[in-house]
Formats: sequence, C-alpha cells, structure tokens
Amino acid sequence: MDRLPRILIVEDDPRDVELTLTALDQYNLANEVVVVGDGEEALDYLRRQGKFMARANDNPVVVLLDLKLPKMDGLEVLGQIKGDEALRVIPVVVLTSSREERDMVASYKLGVNAYVVKPVDFHEFVNAVKELGVFWAVINESPPGSVRRA
Amino acid sequence: MMLWAKTTTPWKGTATALIPYVLSAASVALALWGALVAERNGFAKLEFPLFLFAVASAIWYPGVGPAIVAVVLSSLAFDYWFTEPRHTLGVNGEDVPYLASFVLLSSMLTGFSVVRRRNERALFESRERLRVETAERKAREEEIRTLNAQLERRSGDLEAINEELEAFAYSVSHDLRTPLRHMVGFAELLQKSASAALDDKSRRYVATMLDAGNRMSQLIDDLLAFSRIGRAETRVTTVSLEQLVNEVVEEVRSDVASRNVAWTVGKLPLVQGDRSMLKLVLVNLVTNALKFTRPRERAEIEIGAFEDRQRGAVVFVKDNGVGFDMRYSNKLFRVFQRLHRTEEFEGTGIGLATVQRVVQRHGGTAWAEGAVNGGAKFFFSVPEAKR
Repeated sequence: MDRLPRILIVEDDPRDVELTLTALDQYNLANEVVVVGDGEEALDYLRRQGKFMARANDNPVVVLLDLKLPKMDGLEVLGQIKGDEALRVIPVVVLTSSREERDMVASYKLGVNAYVVKPVDFHEFVNAVKELGVFWAVINESPPGSVRRA
Repeated sequence: MMLWAKTTTPWKGTATALIPYVLSAASVALALWGALVAERNGFAKLEFPLFLFAVASAIWYPGVGPAIVAVVLSSLAFDYWFTEPRHTLGVNGEDVPYLASFVLLSSMLTGFSVVRRRNERALFESRERLRVETAERKAREEEIRTLNAQLERRSGDLEAINEELEAFAYSVSHDLRTPLRHMVGFAELLQKSASAALDDKSRRYVATMLDAGNRMSQLIDDLLAFSRIGRAETRVTTVSLEQLVNEVVEEVRSDVASRNVAWTVGKLPLVQGDRSMLKLVLVNLVTNALKFTRPRERAEIEIGAFEDRQRGAVVFVKDNGVGFDMRYSNKLFRVFQRLHRTEEFEGTGIGLATVQRVVQRHGGTAWAEGAVNGGAKFFFSVPEAKR
C-alpha cells in the first residue's frame, strides 16, 4: 500500500471516524484516507510541518472537515486553508452535525466548496459519504498539485 | 408646603381669633387718645391723619376683618369727638364733608388693601401650586427614570436569556445529534453484522433501537425548526391567501393522488404577513386535514375565510376526519402534544405549535373546533391588507 492518501478527514470523534471509514470501505475508498484529530494537526498535515514534515508534496483531493474540533475549530481551519495562497485550491467539504444556518453561512463566506449535514439515519449517512468520496476522488478533476489517482 | 398649610388652616381657638380685632380696636383707641391729647395742647385737626394711620396699621397687620372694624370704630370716634356738635353722633352741615372725606378715604384704603391682599393671596397660591407641581413633576420624572432603568435592565436580561436559548439550540443541534448518530449507526452495523446470529426477538430489539433513534432525530429537527420560527425575522408584505392556498393544495395533491379527496376552496382575502411563514401555517393545517381524514373513504377538505370585526381576516381549514375531543382543544397547540397514538397517526406534535407560534407572531390567534369522529375545523386570524 504505497498509494498516497487522497482524502483528508479532520474529525476528533473516533466513532464518527469509524462510521465514515465504514461507509467509505463499502466503495473501496477507505484506504485512500488519512485521519487527523484536530485543526492544528490538519494544518500541519497540509503545510507539511511538525510530524508531517516528511510527507510527500501533493495535496489531498478533498478535505472532509468537521466543525466541532478541539483547540482550533473547523471554521478557523477553513479560514486558514482558504486564506493560504498554497492551500486555497484544495477543495474543502464541511461535514458536520450542525444544521445551524450561521455555521453554513460562515462556511460559505470563508469559501467552503460544499456543506454537508451528517444524516442521523445510517443509510443516508453512508450514501452521503459515499457520494462525497466518489465525487471528489473520482468524478471531479482535482487542481494541479493534487495526489494522482493510482 | 408649610406656608400653604398655614394659610389654609383656620386659626385655632376663639381667643386667638379675637386678637387681631382687639389689636385693631386698640390702635383706634391709641389714635383717639393721641388726637384728644394733641387737641388739648393746641394742635387741632390731627385726628384725621391719626385715625387713617390706625386704619392703615389695622389693615397692614391683622387683616381685612379687623380693618373694617377699625374703619367703623374710627368713623364713630371721629364723628363723636371731632365733628360739631361734639359728643353726639349727629353732624353739623359744615362738618359733613370733613367726616365724609374721612369715611371715604379710610374705606378706599381698606378696599384697596382687600384687593391687594386678594391678589397677593392668589399669587401666593399659584406660586405654591407651581411649586407642588414642579415637585410632583420631578418625582414623576424620577419615577420614569427608575422605570426606564428597570426596563433597560429587563431587556438586557431578556437579551441574555435569548442568547442563552440560542446557544442552547445550537448545542442541541450539534451535541445531541452526534451521539444519536452513533447509536443509530452502530445499531445498524450490528444489525448487518450479527443479523444471521440473532434470533427474531433480538433482531426486533435492534430494529426498535433504530426506530427510536430515528424518531428522536426527527424530534430534535422539529424542535430546532420550531425554535427558529421564534427567532427568525418576519418580512411582512401583502400576501394573496388565494394564491398561497392554491400553491399549497397543488403541492400536497400529488402525495394523496391515490386517495379520494374533495377540495373546496372559498374566496380568500389579501392579508399582511410573512409569505413563507403563512405558507408554513397552511401546509401544516392542510397536511393535518389530509392525515386525519385518512380513514375516510372520501375526504372532504374545505378552506375558506370570513371577516371578523375584532380579529381581521379569519381563515379556516375544515375536514371530515377523525376530529378530536373538545375537552383537549387547549392542548392541541402545545409543543409535542398529541391526541393520537403514533401507530394511528404519525407525527411529532410540532405542527400546530408551529401554527400558533407563527400566527401569534402576526398578532393573530389560532383556535380549533371539533368532535370525536365529527371532523375538525381549525381557525387562524391574520391582519387584512389595507385597501
């Protein structure tokens, strides 16, 4: 498995991570995923600093970002990514429990590429994650500098 | 205030009341004595100024009553001692002008004083009134300031409570949904992975867990939507209810295509309100009508309006469904209040609470009439558009 992960998941809740991976696994996308637990780690990963200093140069094709994160929250991470000349081309999808309008509005103002509310119903959740994975990893043409499809 | 009380309070005791009269009589007596002594010593005609002086001093100090007494007493003394023939109350022809001018002058003096005193009193009273009024106004202003401060404090409190509520709703939206999603998700995974190993009973348990989780999710969503209605701003325009009702009926018609539904839509007015909120009201009432007429072979739903002098436009949605017991009519509009079991009719019990919340935000009221198995009629009032 020397493929580079193409999807970055920023999620602090291991149960959510497990459910998301289970959903992606049904479409063989689980092994293309890297998971980080908080906002700082996400930025470290994208900027190849800290413990991710040695990772290869390419950007993930999509970042699935939870809003409720310890330390730096999702909106701050989003702001950092979209405010960074080198990172702003990376598609970011907010994947959150919140249906609150202000989160949605704030995310779009910061330049989010999509906003998805995690459905409670598992089938719907699996469907949503699958479609996200398929769309960004397969259908969408990623910007130059992204990890190539194996 | 003190002075005011002094002038209005009658003098206490007859003795005290008599003092000014005694003083005035004394001043006349003093003048008489002075005039007699002066005359004996060769200074004639001093009685005139001396008596005038007595009258004037009686006016100056004790008041109008004693002054009149002084005028009468001094006129009599003048007549008795200083006009010919002396020591009688008769007057010789040549002395009449002399006596008359004294009586006239002292009376005029008294008269002017009466007027002056009256003016003085009036001035004093109005000044007092002004002072009292000013004091009262100041007290009222102070009161208003206190009330204002209270109001400000209360509105600040309300704002804080509102913010808290919003934070509460937000945290419900975020934090309550997450564990719920996990419960449902892992129950689903369990169902999938262990289904073959489970007996029927256990499979039913898992299915029930899933049902309950999904229902709770629905409740959370409804509750959040309901709280949003309370917080959302209303955009008031002129709304054609006729258009709105047709829109709503058109939208729900496809859901009940297989059923026999007879729609009657009467004449509906133009009203003042938030279009999307009013639509929410109509959607709720119409879908309710459809839901509770499900057992009927032929559902009859009537939507109409009439004018009410006090309430403005009153809109009603009437059905021939299962109805309800009027005893519970006050419970109908409460949040999560249901009059039917979930197995009979689905729903979370938020629809009519939403209806009421929206109608109240429009300054109207919502109410219902019905009978068990006799259909239901729901009313709501809304301000009519100005013509």
